[in-house]
Amino acid sequence: MLALLFILFAGMAIGCAISMVAQRNPLYGAISLIGVFISLACLYVTLAAPFIAAVQVIVYAGAIMVLVVFVIMLLNVEEEERRPLRLRALVPIAIGLAAVLFAEAAFIIFFVQASPSTPTRNISDVGLTASIGSGLFTSYLLPFEVTSILLLMAVVGAMTLARRGGLLPANVGVVPGYQSFSREVLNPMATPDLTRVEARTSREAEELLGVADAPHVSLDE
Amino acid sequence: MEDLKHIVLLFVGILVAFTVVMTMVAYTVLAERRILGFIQGRLGPNRVGPGGFLQPIADLLKFIFKEDIVPDKSTRFVYFLAPTIATTAALMTIVVYPFGPEIHLPLIDKTIQLVVARFDVALLYVLGVTSVGVYGIALAGWSSNNKYSLMGGLRSSAQMISYELALGLALIGVILQSGTLDLYSIVEQQSGHLGISGWNMILAQPLGFIVYLIAAIAETNRVPFDLPEAETELVAGFHTEYSAMKFALFFLAEYVNMFTVSMLATTLFLGGWNGPFVHQLPALGVFYFLGKVVLFLFFYIWLRGTLPRFRFDQLMNFGWKFLVPLALINIVFTATLQWSGAFDFFAKFLKTSTGWGG
Amino acid sequence: MVPQLSWYLALSAVLFTIGVVGVMVKRNVISMFMCIELMLNAVNLTFVAFSSFFRDVSGQLFVFIVMTVAAAEAAVGLGIIISIFRNRESLDVDDSSTLRL
Repeated sequence: MLALLFILFAGMAIGCAISMVAQRNPLYGAISLIGVFISLACLYVTLAAPFIAAVQVIVYAGAIMVLVVFVIMLLNVEEEERRPLRLRALVPIAIGLAAVLFAEAAFIIFFVQASPSTPTRNISDVGLTASIGSGLFTSYLLPFEVTSILLLMAVVGAMTLARRGGLLPANVGVVPGYQSFSREVLNPMATPDLTRVEARTSREAEELLGVADAPHVSLDE
Repeated sequence: MEDLKHIVLLFVGILVAFTVVMTMVAYTVLAERRILGFIQGRLGPNRVGPGGFLQPIADLLKFIFKEDIVPDKSTRFVYFLAPTIATTAALMTIVVYPFGPEIHLPLIDKTIQLVVARFDVALLYVLGVTSVGVYGIALAGWSSNNKYSLMGGLRSSAQMISYELALGLALIGVILQSGTLDLYSIVEQQSGHLGISGWNMILAQPLGFIVYLIAAIAETNRVPFDLPEAETELVAGFHTEYSAMKFALFFLAEYVNMFTVSMLATTLFLGGWNGPFVHQLPALGVFYFLGKVVLFLFFYIWLRGTLPRFRFDQLMNFGWKFLVPLALINIVFTATLQWSGAFDFFAKFLKTSTGWGG
Repeated sequence: MVPQLSWYLALSAVLFTIGVVGVMVKRNVISMFMCIELMLNAVNLTFVAFSSFFRDVSGQLFVFIVMTVAAAEAAVGLGIIISIFRNRESLDVDDSSTLRL
């Protein structure tokens, strides 16, 4: 029964992983990766680690991948084009190495016997929330606190990196001729809209930036 | 053989829970239309059957026979996947809610607890599955190849993940007080005098309850937080391009989500199946549970008829700058009360079951 | 047949290798990032398998911390990707191979 579940979830995980690497459209790759995460969570449940399985679904499949899917949708990422392979000799080498990997995995699965000191899995209390909680707050307290500071650093870093460029300085100048702005520069409420808006003349650019009625200073004086 | 009986019992439990939930959801749709009608000074649908009683069946027939329009340039796989994810994630959560206490089934001569799956991390499971439900909306908005759908989908997903945070933080107060993530144990610990005095809402968590309620309304995209799917703003938001059965799946997913958060509120704050005389007659627990859920659903419908909706930036401000700090204050307050022993002092008077663990 | 520890380790090795292949083959920055997440998850599987077979909770605590670090890395990494896209208007890593715009 457990072996059947292992084969099922392992097959799903490997299938989704290969699908993720083989897909050219990043959105389909993201969906395949969500499939990998969910099948890994099911594997954790068969390994008697229900807390880690739930945290895996909440953190990886439910938060990190939502972030990745948002970024893919906002940046409107297109498919990768197929490029012809330049080093033809790599294909047989790749097939050979893949065969070596497959042979290693088969060897491990079929020929490695469990050593007598490894306990076979019985029902145990290790994966339950209580034992994880007591471990996390007693012997692993320092990594826990350092991780919380790390998360704070990540929040500050992400906010700094994604700061909108839409804050125009007081005396903005317009270059002569054709220019294009991203919409988030023109309208601070439209962050993060990166579609370009063209201004064919500097007069149009002034109107877009909202400085058309400002006094014009000639640079020759 | 024991394994097989256990699996069959699980399947029967899932089937019964599914039937009960779907029937109640179908009649919630009808109830919403009637009650909104009464609030707005008109009658709702009352033609089909006595008092509109058969309206859900008429709606179902309409959805089955409607023409299924698929937009031309949409990405087909994701377009079909999105309502599936939304509905599956919405329905997966009903297996962990305790519908009633232990009852003795005379047919197979067993005493079972009325919960389909009782395991250690049930509350985290609910949070995880709700997080996965966000994908249905985001992918629906993207795959429709329509700018209103995309805007609606992204706004709706952003709103859902923001309020998920406030939801989770509000639940931590209850977990601190109960000491376990298992929903059945949390309900068992709320048995009090006459079945009412032990409820979590009374003993310590009024603030947590309010934060949870507001976050739950935002999580299910209901008024006043339903800008992403409001007709006057974005045509119909992320489900603009969906028709017939796929729209029915989204509609269903929204109402099942509403049902799910009501069940969670009932379980955690209102005592689940606890009520007067429930220990003498265990089957009464199911009625108390469903009655409390119906109370929450009525509250949702009442809000829909009464309040205007938030603008999107007001909504996000409210979630991040008001609800999350409030939930954090609730956690600190609860932890302080727990540590100082005030809870145990009051629990001696209000609750009749033993303390932690379960 | 009960799944042995070696099965889980073999699965983890295969997933890790698929992740490495993905990082080398893909040209889109976001796809490479997703393959890195796959590698982290393969390592998580190893930790949890050992923790389960040796009845020691430290493996699962390490997984917890690895997940937290991965979440932080995802937030900052995607912020960097958005900044790169703003400046170079392309998500191809070959277009980002020089520091000059």
